Amino acid sequence: MFKEASIREPLILGNKSYGDITADVVGPIENKAPKGWYIAITISALIALWGIGCILYLIGTGIGTWGLNKTVGWAWDITNFVWWVGIGHAGTLISAVLLLFRQRWRMAINRSAEAMTIFAVIMAAMFPGIHMGRLWLGYFVFPLPNQFGSLWVNFNSPLLWDVFAISTYFSVSLVFWYIGLIPDFATIRDRIKTPVAKKVYGILSFGWSGKAKNWTRFEEVSLVLAGIATPLVFSVHSIVSMDFATSVIPGWHTTIFPPYFVSGAVFSGFAMVQTLMLIMRKTMRLENYVTIKHVEYMNIVIIVTGSIVGVAYITELFMSWYSGVEYESYAFINRFSGPYLWAYWAMMTCNVISPQLFWVKKWRRSLGFTFVMSIIVNIGMWFERFVIIVTSLHRDYVPSSWSMFHPTFVDIGVFIGTIGIFFTLFLLFARFFPVLALNELKSILKVSGEEHKNKH
Amino acid sequence: MGTEKRYWTGMEELHGTKEFMDSSAKEFKTELPVEEFVAGAAQADLSSGRRDFLKFLGFSVGAATLAACETPVVRAIPYVIKPEQVTPGMPTYYASTFHDGFDYGSILVKTREGRPIYIKGNKDHGHGSLNARINASVLSLYDSTRLTGPRKGSESTTWASADEAIKKALIDANAASAEVVLLTEPIASPSTLNVIAELKANYPSANISHVPYAPVSFEAMSQAYGTANGTPYLDFKSAKVVVCVAADFMNDFPLSAQYTTAYGSARKPEGKWMSKHFQFESIMSLAGSNADVRRAIKPSEEGLVLASIYNHITGQGSSNATSNITKGAAEALKAVPGESLVICGNNDIHCQNIAVAINEALGNIGNTIQKDKTVQLAVGDGTAFASLVSKMNSGAVDVLMMHGVNPAYDSPMAEEFKTGLGKVTNSFSFSSHADETASLCAYIMPSNHALESWNDHHVVSGHYALSQPCIQPLYDTRQYQGTLLAMSAKGGTYYDFIKSTWAGMAQGDATAFWNNALHNGSVDMGLQAPVVAAPVTVKSATQEVTAAAPTNTSGSVSTSIAAVEKTASSASGIEVVLYTKQGIGTGAQATNPWLQELPDPITKVCWDNYITMSPAQAKEMGFTLYMAQETPASVATVEVNGKKVTLPVVPVPGQKAGTVGIALGYGRGANGEHIGNAAFQTKEYGGYDLDDSGNKKPIGANAYALVAMVNGMASYTLSGATVTGTGEEYAIASTQTHHTIMDRESVLKETVLGTFKNGEQNDYNRPHTLKMHEHHEVVDKPIKEVDLWDPHPVEGIGHWWGLSIDLSSCLGCGACITACHSENNVPVVGKDEVRRSRDMHWLRIDRYFTSDMTKEKGEAEGIGTIDMYSKMEIPSENPSVVHMPMMCQHCNHAPCETVCPVAATTHSSEGLNQMTYNRCIGTRYCANNCPYKVRRFNWFNYKAYAKFSEVNPSQDMMGRMVLNPDVTVRSRGVMEKCSMCVQRIQAGKLDSKIKGIPVADGSIETACSEACPNNCITFGDINDTGSKVHGLRNDKRAYLALEEVGTQPSINYMVKVRNREETLA
Repeated sequence: MFKEASIREPLILGNKSYGDITADVVGPIENKAPKGWYIAITISALIALWGIGCILYLIGTGIGTWGLNKTVGWAWDITNFVWWVGIGHAGTLISAVLLLFRQRWRMAINRSAEAMTIFAVIMAAMFPGIHMGRLWLGYFVFPLPNQFGSLWVNFNSPLLWDVFAISTYFSVSLVFWYIGLIPDFATIRDRIKTPVAKKVYGILSFGWSGKAKNWTRFEEVSLVLAGIATPLVFSVHSIVSMDFATSVIPGWHTTIFPPYFVSGAVFSGFAMVQTLMLIMRKTMRLENYVTIKHVEYMNIVIIVTGSIVGVAYITELFMSWYSGVEYESYAFINRFSGPYLWAYWAMMTCNVISPQLFWVKKWRRSLGFTFVMSIIVNIGMWFERFVIIVTSLHRDYVPSSWSMFHPTFVDIGVFIGTIGIFFTLFLLFARFFPVLALNELKSILKVSGEEHKNKH
Repeated sequence: MGTEKRYWTGMEELHGTKEFMDSSAKEFKTELPVEEFVAGAAQADLSSGRRDFLKFLGFSVGAATLAACETPVVRAIPYVIKPEQVTPGMPTYYASTFHDGFDYGSILVKTREGRPIYIKGNKDHGHGSLNARINASVLSLYDSTRLTGPRKGSESTTWASADEAIKKALIDANAASAEVVLLTEPIASPSTLNVIAELKANYPSANISHVPYAPVSFEAMSQAYGTANGTPYLDFKSAKVVVCVAADFMNDFPLSAQYTTAYGSARKPEGKWMSKHFQFESIMSLAGSNADVRRAIKPSEEGLVLASIYNHITGQGSSNATSNITKGAAEALKAVPGESLVICGNNDIHCQNIAVAINEALGNIGNTIQKDKTVQLAVGDGTAFASLVSKMNSGAVDVLMMHGVNPAYDSPMAEEFKTGLGKVTNSFSFSSHADETASLCAYIMPSNHALESWNDHHVVSGHYALSQPCIQPLYDTRQYQGTLLAMSAKGGTYYDFIKSTWAGMAQGDATAFWNNALHNGSVDMGLQAPVVAAPVTVKSATQEVTAAAPTNTSGSVSTSIAAVEKTASSASGIEVVLYTKQGIGTGAQATNPWLQELPDPITKVCWDNYITMSPAQAKEMGFTLYMAQETPASVATVEVNGKKVTLPVVPVPGQKAGTVGIALGYGRGANGEHIGNAAFQTKEYGGYDLDDSGNKKPIGANAYALVAMVNGMASYTLSGATVTGTGEEYAIASTQTHHTIMDRESVLKETVLGTFKNGEQNDYNRPHTLKMHEHHEVVDKPIKEVDLWDPHPVEGIGHWWGLSIDLSSCLGCGACITACHSENNVPVVGKDEVRRSRDMHWLRIDRYFTSDMTKEKGEAEGIGTIDMYSKMEIPSENPSVVHMPMMCQHCNHAPCETVCPVAATTHSSEGLNQMTYNRCIGTRYCANNCPYKVRRFNWFNYKAYAKFSEVNPSQDMMGRMVLNPDVTVRSRGVMEKCSMCVQRIQAGKLDSKIKGIPVADGSIETACSEACPNNCITFGDINDTGSKVHGLRNDKRAYLALEEVGTQPSINYMVKVRNREETLA
């Protein structure tokens, strides 16, 4: 059996048996939901409803209900889109890349992180839809056979690449997540008492029997899907970044965007995972599985990706000066000294300065500090997209068209609404789905469990 | 054993009972209650069977179907018999003339299926230069708030009873030898004057007089030159130096559109000479923005400026405070005696007298100023009007008839006029609306719209023009001349009357003369033409005294100089300039949404009236300097001579500190008069903004109340005003919130005449190159040779449509904008949307002020980059101005085309960037990626959404009739932009194809190129080596905007050349 070095911190604390793990994870599903859950879902559902109301108003009345104008044709809509897609990245990175690298600490967080990915991508995918002037003709973006002769989509358009990138990413993530859930659903099916739930979990678990053959296939499929999902971690946000990079707008037209966007995405994704896991480990009493060590590992990822993002910001600035192009250099001077300087400096503070605080070990192992930082990073990453989109557009080539963007209540409502929808979905997930990959965790209990380690 | 199986339905059949046998003979075993269905129980004894039932059923279904088929569109009747001269789908043009007392132009009216939909200049005959107000007047035809029939008070009445009333009033007046006054706009129509003479002849005992009334009047100029009822014709074409003192001859001046063209033709840098233009003024006017040298002065100094020029030129008189700023102008004038123009726009007799003296001293009179060729526009008779008002108040006026005037709104004596009107026994208005004045009259007998009317005009001496109706009157209206004719002994129609007048003019065959004039819209008779009109106006005694004052002797000049010096020394406080704007003019068309949405050429503000002020002063007084979507303007009250106007403050660079400017023509319908939909403030989600008393709030405030009467003439400049901030804020809608070019040479290039004439192309129009490494050497490569993409095969193949825009010729008037609105059904979006930077103009005119800071200066002075850029955003105190028309550049490597996911915007084989509206899903990616920011998105359903019901004419059944049937009305959620009038290109190609000839250069025009009074925009086929546009594109002044982006536009600009010595600061 694999032996883990004893100096490594254990990944499962306490005196846990296999049965304890099952009980800890499935327990909340079997028992009545706590009062807090009802309060939380009521609040988030109300926010979600408000958001849906705003979306319906938007679709019914026109894009003019947003604050966009002739100069700034995208603002919060695409900011939110990129932000949500970015958040999704952590889940795939944790489940696919860390699987390939055999990082066992992922097991405690991958389930929730993948769920976060799915929900975040749903939120993200909504924006390209509702930002269209004529949503009802949105199917034009699919290369469908049609009666219009040789009418075809424009394969030159990065927006079309987005369609393919996002839909591929969503389907692969969904399949990957679901495959991982099957053995855990089977465990629930075997334990649960109520006949309806038993039936439902029975269907969901696809007749899993726990035979060795099942497990081999499970492992193989997981590996294959991890192999497919890994390039997607890099391709999706690269393609999203090409929406900007292939344009002619100063501040968008930058070759550095693909790696910069990907690291930014992982950065924000991990921050979101932190936000969610820190709440979840407390409310669902998972302190023994999601340990300080897990938090620290994730904070290290945040330092690394945050530093890459910081380097990218500085490289952009350098290039704008070094290019000698008037428009390019003005775009960046305007970013940090123009009317949107507050957004730029908010971004710099949140994304470049704040993650560097995690170099202090005490702070990166502090739960409270991590929680605050995770929110700061997500605010910063939202501002990054806002800065890229709005400050580049609002003052581009022809000064006569320079303008400002002012959000309306619909802009705000739709954004807050997606957060509401996201949390509603996540709360439903936490109530009815196994929030930890319990069968996978069991595989490291004898390797990295605290009790086991202490014995040797 | 039976061979056959038998089945039976029941025992009855098996046994064959009688009941069964009986009932089986019937189709229905039990009786159907048909009677009950069809006739009800009461008629049960009537025998109607199943067939009857089916008949009833069939009939009622048929009747119901027929009833349902009756669609509400009952007027869409196809031409069963094709009317002569109307081919469905083909436009018919009528030559006509626009005249409203202030603006004048020879027009061609485009009608489609009988509807006038577009007005363009008749450039082949007559005075074919138009401004935005003339272009847009076609929309006023379809104003649904026009009166639909005669009215007595506020009640509808019939023409017969109205006619009876007016006839009785005239007969009674005749019997009592009472005063009958006809108050009209300045009439230059020979036939109308003859009609008035006929009227007089029919009521000989009545004291009938005619008072011409102009809200903005150039009486002083008329008197100073001694040109009765008009101003002298100014020959800008041969003026090598033009000096204007407070004269905005491009906008706020009689015959402005025609003068603009003439001025422009003398301003070609390639010409033998280019005229030099000096402007002395207080507010930044359109003419001032185009001047080579502009000096800001106070209105009280206008006389001093003229006096010092007079002093410089003649050596007479003494120098004064303005002598150093006028020296340059005076020297330039002296250098070209007899070939210059000194124009004063002030309606002050003394200023005008000095201007006349200067022109006389220079020998301009008889050369560039033709006194025998007068322009009968915008000259009212202020004294006659004043005496009319006093007579009205004393109850001496028995009958008052009014047409084309609105003194209750636009007279400085409005209040007295209104009281007087109440004392007039019989008041008749021929106004088309129940406006401020008409609603106070006893009877309103609405006259036709000009496009429904016959008329003739003799505005410019020797040039006789005709207006002809292009459509049957839409409402139950009648031309007022017809009404007057009916009251005279003559009778008959006004059309016959005009014909008979013209028969008197004809040399040779009268019919041929008439037909030719009607076809061309006008006829030039020369200055020796027979006078066919009866003499007009009954001048009051005081008027004659003033007019008789000696004008051209040196004695009177010294009197005038003394007078202007007194004006200057007695001026105090803040001085006020009242002016008219490009869009709204005198206010007659204040309800025209196209004009309301036309940005002011200088401030770029739409839908509003405001106080202009110098930025320095605004800062000093603590007013907001920067206005944008969420930064409203400060509100201030201007108080002068005890009268107050409260308006927002808009700082305008170039304005003289210590002065404020307020536009006339706003604040209409303040008492809830039904003058039109678009003249009132609207709320953010639609509906009118109401004041506390429930009245609709008018847009802006009425500044006519401030106009002072000096020497019996209206004075549009005032002194002794105070400006106090109210502390309130007011949102301003502007299409441009950033005012400087930020030293971006690749967008905008300009030079001075000396550099252009003597320098190389590189000195003023350096082409962009890329430094490339080739064979270990750095080489400069033209942009065009460096390309990632395969070229679009347009160059040298088939047609390649393009435009050339000469920045030297563009004066910023905005006629192209309204023409584009009209041609392309561009939606009107109203103030709130413009404020949100969502104007829909396909064609805009970017206006840039120069800044004191440039890159060169920043480097030389060692100023930090951030500092430099922030200083560049601030315009100079007295900036130079550039007007740059900007529309879709039809790039051959269009950034918009590559990014559209659904290929809704694509490139044509003729070099056009085309939008496929029905393919567009509205991602707006194309607009984001457009370096020129010319794409416009349909944020709402403008033609139906409640927010736009007050402002968008397409929401109105009548307003929709002006839509061009050749251009799709775009739906919500699609992108739109300039199509280079592709519908005209297609029509032009088709026309050539039918004729079997190649498309001739000049046979196709875009709306903007056609509307431009200064031929700044040239359209044509770039591949046609003989075409004008081909030549211009390859000219030394030609450049492509943002060439280095590599978009390869089909539209080129020409470097702006200023006629001044100093290099550009």
